[in-house]
Amino acid sequence: MTLILQLAINGLVFGSLLGLVALGLALVFGVMRLVNFAHGEFITLGAYATYLLVTTTGVSPLWGIPIAALLGATIGLAVQMLVISRLAGRPELEALMATYALSIVGLGLFALAFGGDFRTYSAGPAGNVTLAGVVVGWRSITVLVACVIVGAATLALVSRARTGLGFRAVAQNREAAAACGVNVVASERLAFSVSVALAAICGALISFIGTTTPNVGHEWLLDGFVVVIVGGLGSISGALVAALAIGLLHSFASYFLDDSWAQIMTYVLLYVALLVRPHGLLGARSAT
Amino acid sequence: MRFAAITVAAAALAAVMPFAGVSVYAGTLVYYAAYYLVLGQAWNMMSGLTGYVSFTHGALAGIGAYTAVLAINGGWPITLALVAAVAVTAFASLVIGVTSLRLRGTAFTFATLFFQELLLLGVRKLPAAGGAAGTTLQEILPTSLPHVLMVLTAAGATIAFALLRRSRTGVRLLAIKGDEDAAAAVGIDATRLKIGVFCASAALCGLAGGIHALFIASLHPESVFSVDTSIVALAVPLIGGVETALGPVAGAILYVGLREILQIVAPSLHLVIVGLLILLVTLFLRDGIIGAARRLLQRRRTYRAALETAR
Repeated sequence: MTLILQLAINGLVFGSLLGLVALGLALVFGVMRLVNFAHGEFITLGAYATYLLVTTTGVSPLWGIPIAALLGATIGLAVQMLVISRLAGRPELEALMATYALSIVGLGLFALAFGGDFRTYSAGPAGNVTLAGVVVGWRSITVLVACVIVGAATLALVSRARTGLGFRAVAQNREAAAACGVNVVASERLAFSVSVALAAICGALISFIGTTTPNVGHEWLLDGFVVVIVGGLGSISGALVAALAIGLLHSFASYFLDDSWAQIMTYVLLYVALLVRPHGLLGARSAT
Repeated sequence: MRFAAITVAAAALAAVMPFAGVSVYAGTLVYYAAYYLVLGQAWNMMSGLTGYVSFTHGALAGIGAYTAVLAINGGWPITLALVAAVAVTAFASLVIGVTSLRLRGTAFTFATLFFQELLLLGVRKLPAAGGAAGTTLQEILPTSLPHVLMVLTAAGATIAFALLRRSRTGVRLLAIKGDEDAAAAVGIDATRLKIGVFCASAALCGLAGGIHALFIASLHPESVFSVDTSIVALAVPLIGGVETALGPVAGAILYVGLREILQIVAPSLHLVIVGLLILLVTLFLRDGIIGAARRLLQRRRTYRAALETAR
């Protein structure tokens, strides 16, 4: 029983991070109908930014969260203005290729700057707390709490009257929204920038409990894709449930089998989701 | 017709290189250009014509490579091993095709992305394929054999693409890219066509992978199923120009040349440069180098014609 609780808590932490990855993906997809293959590299950005911050200045890694968010928002805005804004109205092939190319560039840059080493740091909250026989690290608790706060803040922003309405209007019909006085450009910039900031925050948290490599974001992004597809692209509540479910699956499968089997099972879930979703990733709306 | 003749002539020239005393270095460059050309044409067939982006063409070649090596080590003759490589790869592509090509849009791209990752994880778990340590070809073959085979395959793939592009099937595929609903409305069975062309494209990758296995002789899961090969497979046609038979040819030559220069100047910048090239071509040069060259020629022609009339 203690073991099951222990694994469940590990799964919960993993799942909450996955939920944050998925939230960022769903936000950009929801507003711009864009699948951002470079999302993973923004996660890696946050992770390395936090790593550098902690190892060079010696401050608590918690500072990595706002720093990564700020860095992510700035870089996200720049990428949106330079690249993503040019993709509106282009065929899907070109939009996919552009974000994929961004991802390749990012991967190359991180490999160039940091090499393939596994990077970790020991600063920040340490030690464990024992609750009913279950040992939980303070780091895990910090990550969980941070995920809940950041996730709730994002949801509040998306559902807030003007911003959220703007997002939803742009998502439904770009031209009509513009004609009705919605600032489409600003909405799209904000959505992308917030999404990248979310990715960078995820990275900061991941560097906190895991190891940072040039590939770390890519691996999390794959799991994030499974979450948004299983939960239904564009459905935030579906994605949150799927994130927790996949977090638990991952935690239990890694313990009873091993890490690669956990990954294999997660990835196979994607094919199952594709098979049982005859109307496509968006449900009924995929017709267009 | 003239196009086919030029292709055959170029291929014949490239194929006799190992026997004509050309240096091993030059021969290897030509070999790699041919290998990437086959993968590029295969990608061009599927993604260039239908608009459904595949991130897995390198992994498909990996399946061909593994099949060929395991078959030859099991005592099969080389021809049969290559046939097996084609058959297994085509069959494997159905896993992606049947799950995702009934659906529109990005579902296919996701299915290919995860196929790549699953193959790597799966092969590492498979003791029959050598597991994480990989496997080695037991027979020692002269490198001229894969060289000739690869060059011929590249020529064949290029001619096959040109024929496909001009055929009724090619027009139907382009119609799917243009507007799938409209294509379906005029009676094009989009799902069947997409699965069919993906299968053909995969078979081509399987053949290239099988031949490449004869060339490299030892297979490691990490390098055989590395994303890098899949990136090359899409970079080659994109940079050269999608939808055209000549685009991947220009792309493959340029890519191999660029890689050699980078190897000397800045080896670690390779990924960054390739990514930037894809990005720039996608944003500003949608029909690639071949398209740009054609427009340039066209402009000169109209300019000359204008000069003639002015006189």
